[in-house]
Parts: sequence; C-alpha cells; structure tokens
Amino acid sequence: MRVLAVSAFAAVCLMGCPVLRAQDTGEPPAVNPLSGNAVAIQTGMGLFRSRCADCHGMDARGVRGPDLTQVWASGRTDGGLFRTLRRGIPGTEMPSVGPRTPDDEVWKILAYLKTLAAPTATDVVAGNSQNGERVFRTQCAGCHRANGTGGRLGPDLSRIGIARARNAIVRRVRGATEDFLDGYEPVIITLKNGQTVRGVRKNGDLFSVQIMDGRERIQGYLRADVKDVQPGKQSAMPVFGPERLSESDLNDLLAYLGTLKGFDPSVK
Amino acid sequence: MRPMIPRFVRLALVSAAVLGVTLGAQQATPPGPVTNQELLDGLKADGSNWLTFGGNYANHRFSPLTQITPENVGSLQPKWTFQTATLGNFETTTLVRDNVLYVTGPLNVAWAVDARSGRQIWRYRRELPDNLTACCGLVNRGFAALGERLFMVTLDAHLLALDMKTGAVVWDAILGDYKTGYAATLAPLVVKDKVIVGVAGGEYGIRGFIDAYDAQSGKRAWRFYTIPGPGDPGNNTWQGESWKIGGTGVWVTGAYDPETNAIFFGTGNPGPDYHSESREGDNLYSCSLVVLDADTGTLKWHYQFTPHDVHDYDSTEVPILADIPISGQPRKVVMFANRNGFYYTLDRTTGRVIVAKPFVQTTWAKSIDAQGRPMLQPGHRPDEKGERTCPDLTGGTNFWPPSFDPRTRLFFVNAREACATFYAYKPEYVPGQRFTGGAQQLVNNRDEKPFGAFRAIDPATGERKWEFLTPTPSRAGILTTASNLLFTGDGEGNLLALNSRTGTLLWRYQMGATLHGTSPVTYMLDGKQQLLVPAGTTLTAWALPDGAGNATR
Ligand code: HEC
Ligand code: HEC
Repeated sequence: MRVLAVSAFAAVCLMGCPVLRAQDTGEPPAVNPLSGNAVAIQTGMGLFRSRCADCHGMDARGVRGPDLTQVWASGRTDGGLFRTLRRGIPGTEMPSVGPRTPDDEVWKILAYLKTLAAPTATDVVAGNSQNGERVFRTQCAGCHRANGTGGRLGPDLSRIGIARARNAIVRRVRGATEDFLDGYEPVIITLKNGQTVRGVRKNGDLFSVQIMDGRERIQGYLRADVKDVQPGKQSAMPVFGPERLSESDLNDLLAYLGTLKGFDPSVK
Repeated sequence: MRPMIPRFVRLALVSAAVLGVTLGAQQATPPGPVTNQELLDGLKADGSNWLTFGGNYANHRFSPLTQITPENVGSLQPKWTFQTATLGNFETTTLVRDNVLYVTGPLNVAWAVDARSGRQIWRYRRELPDNLTACCGLVNRGFAALGERLFMVTLDAHLLALDMKTGAVVWDAILGDYKTGYAATLAPLVVKDKVIVGVAGGEYGIRGFIDAYDAQSGKRAWRFYTIPGPGDPGNNTWQGESWKIGGTGVWVTGAYDPETNAIFFGTGNPGPDYHSESREGDNLYSCSLVVLDADTGTLKWHYQFTPHDVHDYDSTEVPILADIPISGQPRKVVMFANRNGFYYTLDRTTGRVIVAKPFVQTTWAKSIDAQGRPMLQPGHRPDEKGERTCPDLTGGTNFWPPSFDPRTRLFFVNAREACATFYAYKPEYVPGQRFTGGAQQLVNNRDEKPFGAFRAIDPATGERKWEFLTPTPSRAGILTTASNLLFTGDGEGNLLALNSRTGTLLWRYQMGATLHGTSPVTYMLDGKQQLLVPAGTTLTAWALPDGAGNATR
C-alpha cells in the first residue's frame, strides 16, 4: 500500500516533482521511488557534490569517509541507505542530512549515487590480518590507538576499517597527504632559549597555541613567550615507502585495519 | 521565605516610601521618558547613554568618550559578568539609559540589567512555537526605545512593545505568518512616532517588506514591499510569478537622515538563492539599498548592489551616513561595505555611485561601471557541477556592524577573505520549507584557508589605510571612540582593542566565546567610562581601576 502510494507520487513527479515531506514518513519505501529519474539524478548530483563530496569524494570513492560506490554491491538496500542518510551514523563523523532536508532530496542523492555504483565489490580483502596486526604493533601503534591500546599523537584508528576507503588508507600510509586532519597539523615551536618543540596542533589563536608534542605532552604556549611558532610542512606521520613497508606487509596491514570496526569501551 | 532584612532598615525603607522621600536625594533628577530629541542627538551630547542600534541615526558606533585611552586600555578590569542561562548566543546591541542596560538575547529572552552590579532587574521571555522555521540562528539584534517603551521583534514574526520598567508586554503586532517562513531578528528603528522593522525569511520563499507601526497604538502605519507587485515599477524584473516567493528579507537595522526624513535599509537576497532559472531578471529590490520616506514608506530611490544575485549576497549590512569632502567638494554620502565584496560610497541624495571598490578578493565581478552596474566575470552562475567564487556566501562582510570615525573620516569593517564552490539544483516551493536550490562548499584546505581582517577604508577613495589580520574570520561588530580606540573581537574569542588610527593591537582578553554579530558599547556610569561586551551567552562590563583614567576627563 505504502509502496503503491509512493510510486504514484513518483509518476506525478515526472511532470511536476512534488516534495515528499520529511514528516510524512513512517517507514521509508524499500525501493528508491526516484531511481533512474533523469531530473532527480541531475539534482542529486548537485546535492551530493555540495553536501557529501567533501568527505566521500566527487567520485564517491572516499576521502574522509568510506567509498560509497560499493554499498549496493556489498548488500545494502535503498531503504537502509535512506535510513543511514536520515539518521547519520551516531558517534561517527557521518552526519544526518538534518530535519530540514525533505525526503525527496534524500532519494535524489541516492538516485545519483546509484549511477556511480560498482556492479560488484572490488575491495576484496586478500591479506593476512594476523601478520597485519604484528606490522601495526611495530610500525603504527607508537602513534595510533586501536581498541584501547597504542599511542595518541595520531588519531585513534579503532574504526578505520569502516570509516575510510581502502584506497585512502593506502595513499595516507604511502605518504600522499592531501591535507592534515584537524587537530593533527604539524607545528614547530622555537623557545626563547633556541630549543625546538615539535608536535601536532590541537588549537590556537593569534596569541597562543596548544599542542601535543612527540612525548604526548599536552601543553599551551603564549606566542609572546616563545621565539617562533611555525606550521610544519611534513606530517608528524612518517612516509612508509616500499623500503619501510613492503607491498605484502601493506596488504596484510590493510587486512588487519579492515577488521577494525569500532571500539566498545563499556566494562563487561 | 522572607528576605532577612534588619528591622531598622525595613522601617527606614517604609518611612522613605511613605514620606515620598527620594532615596539618595543628592542625585540629579532622573531622566524622564526617552525623547525623540535624544534619539536625534545620538551619542553627541555626552555619550553617557546608548539609545539606538548604531549609537546614532547615522550608525557611526563612534563614542565621544575619552576616559579609556590607548595608554590605559591595558588596565581595564572586569566589573561583573552576566549570564543568560539560555542556549544560543547574543547577537545584540545593548541599549543603556540611566544606569540600566536593556538587552535582547537568543530565543527572544530579554533583560533589564543593573549596570552597577550586573544583576537582573526584570526578564522577559516569549513563548515560541515548536515549529519555528527561523532560518539562520534563533537570535535577536536588539531593542529600540521611545518614551517608556522598548520595541523588539520576535522569531515568530511579531513586533512587541515592552514596558521599560517591568518588561511587561504593552502591545503585540503581527508582522507575518511564521508558518510560511516569516521571522524577525533586527533591532527596530524608531523615527518620530513610528517603529520601523523588516522581516527575515529569504530562504523560505517569503515576500519581504519593511513596516512602520505607531509606537503608541501598535497599529500599522505603512508597508513597503521589497518586491514590487503587479503594476508597480520593477515587478517586470521578476519572471512570471516568481515575485510572490522571491525572498528579499530585511533583517538588519537601517539608518535615518532627519534632514531629508529618509530611512536607508539594505535588503536581502532573492530566492531561491542559487538556482535562479525561475526568476530571470534583475529581481528588484533584492540585494539593494532602498531609501524610503519615513512618514509614508514611499520609495525615494534605490540602488541595487547585486542584480540577479545567485550567491546569497544579502545586502543586509549596516549603512552608515556622513557628510564628507570628496575631491574638495562637500558630499552627503551613505557608506556600505557589501557582502558581495565591494565597498561603496553613494551620494545620499541621488543614489549615484561615487566609489565602488573591492575590499576583499572578489571574483564574480570585475568592477562597477559608471552606471553603477557590476561588470560580471563569466562562469559564476552555479549549477550541479559547481563553480568557484570569491567571496563565499557569508561574504566579504555581513550583518555585523561596521563603524565610522567622523574626525579621521575612516570607515572600519570586519572583513572576511574566503572563497567557495557554489552549487545549484532545482528546488520545489513548499510553504514554510527551505527554498534555496543549492549550497556552497567552503574552500578550506592546507593551501587556502579563510582568514579575517579588520580594515580601515577611506570612503573618499575606497583605499585601505590599514589592516589587522587574524588567522580565522570573525563575526564581531566594531566600536570606535574619540580617544582613537577600536574595540572588536576576533574569530577565536579574543576581545581586541586596536589603535583606530594605525590598526596596532593595544590590548586583548580571551572571552571564551566570540562576539557574534554584536559589538561592544560604551557609556558612563557614576563618572567612569564603561565598556560592555556581549560574547556567547555572557555580558561583561569593563572599566578602569579606581583612580585610573580620571585625570583625562
Ligand atoms: C563530515 C564527513 C561526512 C559527510 C559530510 C558525509 N559523510 Fe557519509 N560517512 C562519513 C564517514 C566517516 C562514514 C563512516 C562512518 C562510520 O564510521 O561508520 C560515512 C558513512 C556513510 C555511509 C555508510 C556507508 C556504508 O558502508 O554503509 C553512507 C551511505 C554515507 N556515508 C553517505 C553519505 C551521503 C549521501 C552524504 C551526503 C548527504 C554523506 N555521507 C555526508 C563521513 C561523511
Ligand atoms: C610518528 C607517529 C605516527 C606513526 C608511526 C604512524 N602514524 Fe599514522 N598518523 C599520524 C598522525 C599525526 C596522523 C594525522 C595527521 C596527518 O594525517 O598527517 C596520522 C594519520 C593516519 C591516518 C589517517 C587517519 C584518518 O582518520 O584519516 C591513517 C589511516 C594512518 N595514520 C595510518 C597509519 C599506519 C597504518 C601506520 C603504520 C604503518 C601509521 N599511521 C604510523 C602519526 C603516525
């Protein structure tokens, strides 16, 4: 019944495109009522580029968020994706589209995304995750926490297997930094006595800067009390070229990172 | 429980009241109701009060007070802090009269606060409907005052008159239907016996207007639609029926020129904001300065800064009036730093452009031609693929008030340097729903980050006299004083005092929240100059320590 009503909507939509109001949904339809609709796809492109591309990339292949071209291939449904967009993924960087976005705009985004979808999943996990975990412990855990252990100079990677596209991780590990993450920009402070302190910038303004240094000391400095504060050009994370991290170790590492799907800190 | 007041004190209070004795009889006679003359005088007389949004009708935000100076500003001390205990932030200009502050806060809560102690005298709170549409922050920009009344607009698009002594509602007039997207946020402008206001809602397919209400009765005296109806000149600048839902709100207070009885208001963007195929044409009087007769609301002249805007460049910035020499000639001008990136000096009687120059990086137009029309650069009409334009939608500046020093004839603006990729896609109009047809992505990466700049502009040439740069853009308004001080805030919560002649930093204090759309005000209290700073949900009053500064009086 519900589905029928909506497809009637979709038929009208070809002529006038009524707005499917955010309020009038109990359960969303299981299938995108605007799927394949050329006008909807066109609008969906604008919506996607302005609202999602910053994190998921213009091509939807993932930057600060996961690759979205494989969501259908990996078994997700229109209805389920609709709910993900409506609600966001609480506790992660994935925002909800917000109550002011009408349902039809959500469907338009999904109609457009569908045109980018890969027919089958291409991210096949092939490495040895046990070896990957060992590599992680020796090469990465000094700066990154996973499931409650590890260093804190870099971001926590406990959810990296879901939160980032595999390609984006490879690019990051091999050293191609498009940008530094907020709160992790490299900074070099020269004290009055000539000593330098290197760290990542947590906050700052015209008069002060707050950092975590290489020994994980968090500390603020007044600019007036130091000689110089300079943004670093290189990430605090070293470049892991093939000489440091072989192709096969990287593959294993990726397999391990793929298993990291969120840390539950509750005491059981 | 009764307060514990010692018996003899209670007796004394009672007898004073019974005998009609004024407590503190040595005080000067307290001022009576706020008069039109006081509003006309602005801060000219002695700067002891602050009675209109811009300090004076010309919106100078320039105080004659000189106790606080570049030399002693560093010893300012906080006297008290007032907290709203609400969500949201102050975006208000505080009115000050007879040692009492009148201030509007977020969510249409408002207070009278004792300037000596920071203690509340009364509080007003409006019951707001749950399904408010108010687009861009549940804010309010301040009161206007006349007689024994304060005037305030509300987020559900009403205009209220409150009793200055109690905060009780005297009358309540409806501006528009909030359910169809109308809202109101500006500080009203009182001219003679009228209260002049406008409506917000440009993102919701409203048809904007400026209204005048009788201060006594609350009856509407006139309405000026910012979008002309059928048969009116300018209606043909809107394609088809698009004029009915063309936005063009008015949400920042204008200026008043008593000499010509003219009011000057900046108008908002046309809607839908970015996807403009449905509204081909110049879309008058969106993104314009409209100049109306204060008694009748009839249009004297208009100047459209951005014809057929597609970047949400509302012209709802604060206009400033002044008489200044330009090329040796005395000129009556209106000065305007626009969200679209250009600074303008217009002839106040004709509306002709005298100066028009970018004050930030501006890519959508090359320059303004002799007729006052922007010469567009190609490729700046947004679509689904996106196009990059500077400034971004928040603009080169915005609703936060600028200031003007009539002695040095410098115009001070809080500028933003930012670019964005603009997208447009076809929207559907549903009453009460957002109707913008697009969005922007701010350009913000390692190589290109938005930043802020406080700039002093010579209105005779549009040239920059100095600038003070900040690493992030700020939304603070500006206050200047006759002792060469400029007070404002940066984007990180620092209250700043600069030398207004040179732009050098003299003093700063971390307020813990930014001055968002507000500017500090200054006034006298018991012989001492005060600086009042709204930041986040706090008001803080500053003054020099006892003994300091008095010598310069
Ligand atoms: C601020 C960055 C950001 C923005 C903006 C953003 N996303 Fe996300 N998105 C993420 C992150 C991060 C995740 C992974 C969250 C997690 O840890 O589970 C995610 C997850 C998702 C998922 C789930 C993927 C899966 O495999 O199930 C979908 C679908 C999605 N986003 C779609 C969108 C769409 C469509 C938009 C625009 C309307 C959008 N996102 C905007 C960051 C973002
Ligand atoms: C010396 C410290 C250090 C080491 C060792 C290190 N990293 Fe990092 N890493 C950082 C910092 C700091 C950042 C954030 C700044 C940036 O992106 O440049 C970061 C960022 C990342 C990110 C991006 C996270 C996100 O949320 O997008 C990934 C993925 C990552 N590191 C993986 C690794 C892996 C895998 C290793 C081991 C092979 C490793 N890192 C070793 C310091 C380190």
